[in-house]
Amino acid sequence: MSNLGIGTDEWVAQHEERLASQSPLKKLFARIPLWAKWGSFFLIAFLFGMLSDNQYLLRVGVNLALFIMLSYGLNIVVGYAGILDLGYVAFYGFGAYGYALLSSEQLGQHWPTYVTVPFITILTAILGYLISLPSRRLFGDYLAIVTLFFGQVFVQLVLASDNITFPWADDYVDITAGSNGIPGLDTFNLFGYIFDDIKDYYWLLMVIVLVLTVAIHRVSATRIGRAWRTVREDALVSEVMGVSVKRVKTLAFVAGATIAGFAGTIFAGMQTSVFINGFDLPLMVMIYAAIILGGSGSLAGALIGAIIMTILPELLRVPNYGAILFFVALLLTFFVLSKKFSRFLIYVVSIILIGFAFQLAMKAIGVTQANAEDWVVGFTGDLLKNWLFVPENRILWGNFAFILLLSLIAFFSIAKPIWKHVLLPFIGFTAIFLWEVRLIADVSTTRQLIIGAMLVVLMILRPQGLFGQTRVEIL
Amino acid sequence: MLKLSNISMEFGALKTLNDLSIELKEKEIVSVIGPNGAGKTTLFNVITGLYKPTSGSVKLGSQEMLGLSPAEINRAGIARTFQNVRLFLNMSVLENVMSATFGRTRSGLFSSALGLKRSRKEEAEVKEKAQELLKFFGTRLTGYRWDQPAFSLSYANRRRLEIARALATDPKVLLLDEPAAGMNPKETQEITEIVGSLRAERGLTILIIEHDMHVVEGVSDRVVALDYGVKIAEGDFDHVATHPDVVEAYLGKGSTATK
Ligand SMILES: Nc1ncnc2c1ncn2[C@@H]1O[C@H](COP(=O)(O)OP(=O)(O)OP(=O)(O)O)[C@@H](O)[C@H]1O
Ligand SMILES: [Mg+2]
Repeated sequence: MSNLGIGTDEWVAQHEERLASQSPLKKLFARIPLWAKWGSFFLIAFLFGMLSDNQYLLRVGVNLALFIMLSYGLNIVVGYAGILDLGYVAFYGFGAYGYALLSSEQLGQHWPTYVTVPFITILTAILGYLISLPSRRLFGDYLAIVTLFFGQVFVQLVLASDNITFPWADDYVDITAGSNGIPGLDTFNLFGYIFDDIKDYYWLLMVIVLVLTVAIHRVSATRIGRAWRTVREDALVSEVMGVSVKRVKTLAFVAGATIAGFAGTIFAGMQTSVFINGFDLPLMVMIYAAIILGGSGSLAGALIGAIIMTILPELLRVPNYGAILFFVALLLTFFVLSKKFSRFLIYVVSIILIGFAFQLAMKAIGVTQANAEDWVVGFTGDLLKNWLFVPENRILWGNFAFILLLSLIAFFSIAKPIWKHVLLPFIGFTAIFLWEVRLIADVSTTRQLIIGAMLVVLMILRPQGLFGQTRVEIL
Repeated sequence: MLKLSNISMEFGALKTLNDLSIELKEKEIVSVIGPNGAGKTTLFNVITGLYKPTSGSVKLGSQEMLGLSPAEINRAGIARTFQNVRLFLNMSVLENVMSATFGRTRSGLFSSALGLKRSRKEEAEVKEKAQELLKFFGTRLTGYRWDQPAFSLSYANRRRLEIARALATDPKVLLLDEPAAGMNPKETQEITEIVGSLRAERGLTILIIEHDMHVVEGVSDRVVALDYGVKIAEGDFDHVATHPDVVEAYLGKGSTATK
């Protein structure tokens, strides 16, 4: 970098170096053809579908496929076209509620599936088009706020539409059942074939995801996909170069909405019930997390992101898996941060010593210890119960530990290198304490914390996401 | 070919262009010169539809450009580069050029998604065209550079890429905003040659803004000098370069007094 001659540019100067410096694993990965990488994913999915009869796992598979559809769709809108759409999940909800209303006793409608699904999907596309009209003049933050508003309007409308009075009727009309949700939906019935097994949905979704993968891959590599990316890069120049920016943006928005709406109908049919809180901001956040994690603007990234965001919460549901994940992550973090194995060992020994010191100190000031049966959840608790001192008032201590941990990490991030070495073992101990005392039992909080922590770590180590391209904004 | 008549452009009280008329004949190369803030870039912005002038008209052939969107103006046959080089930085070199064929191609969402034959054929044509255009600049933007992101290019190469991108829209008229800015003498000489060959090989009509007088002298059939949005001189290079108003505009009032 330093001794560049005149007339050469950085990239050329680094070209050979960059090629040579790739790790062998990376080289190997680069040599596998694209179709083989994708193919192996679908092959695994296919074999799993053939071999497994585990209802729970199949359901996870179905949820994964739906999540992949959502992240594919959002990736078109946000990743390719750069439209920050925070109301995206409303299209999913619209599809699901649309299907629900036409396939249940709620309105007494039982339309055939092969009519309902295309009809609702097209309706979602039209809705997407209408919402894109005011949105397409807006950029960035403004657009985000307007779409967030549309998303919330959808939620409020569904909540409020259980009690509508028309001037000509005496009684109120209940359209959406409000917060009660709509149960008892018809499952899919395609020309007499009834989807009464979760596996039916599994196969249907696998085909859909396969088709979508091929289609989106093709589109993104050709004319429309390129136009989307030029709009993301610099909409003004894009327009000056002959791209109909408004039309192209609308197309991305509608394509995303259509995929979400379609996914919504399948979700409703599979679930045979819909509740509005399933289509609110938490899901939105998860989809965004998936595409950011995978690398915004990358199709493979959207897939990997969806896999992580679906599998991880499932794993964390089981305390032992969660514990393995936690301790592996903790050790890995320490390993990476210590850079040398000897230092890593010193950290581990320090953490162990801190644990004993903590035990002595607590006993010295007379804090009562909790019974092991009260707090040991997973096997790690079993292993650690003679080392880790858990006070009786666990919740309170857990909260303290949480605040202490955050403070330590904050302090760590600005501390001088020498202090970092001192701080790290304390951070490690506090994290273990917090995990065993509170997090392992409190699954839902833990999930969010871990996902949040993962995103933070990833954004520091690899801001472009796992599969994203390095990006520059301004030079 | 391109006829600008009586264009005025105001930003609030400031008159940036004042009753300006310029006409370009087919295959003519005209330079616009003038001190900083004279309104040269503003003129380009008016022609390409980014600014709406207060009054006047812009005609390409017999077609009125005012009132069309920038994309429509581009498709009518006017392409440009930007003074501050605006590439699609996170797209590859080849994609930058290919993306500019949007207005000349047809593949839609579905024909691409289905991989229809005509879509694949069009894609191959577009790719070949882009590679062809990049070869215009010798070997600098060819080969393994095709797949590099635009942000990895050197400054001079970015300027070249921007010209290639403009050419990909199949323009009749090309507007170049300071193509030699920030280039060394050798690269500047090369730009002069390239501008000449753009006309010779592709039959383009070119309007070029340039501060470097060697370039202006080297390429122009005619030179237009602007100051405060007013045309102060027009004619061949020698005429304009020695015109007292031009000298005054560049050097200030004092210098004419000592002349
Ligand atoms: N969008 C705008 N709003 C307000 N004023 C503007 C705008 N665009 C240009 N101007 C003003 O118009 C005048 C002419 O600007 P312009 O960029 O056209 O100059 P120029 O001749 O290209 O100068 P340079 O040689 O520095 O590129 C300047 O005073 C500028 O401040
Ligand atoms: Mg300028």
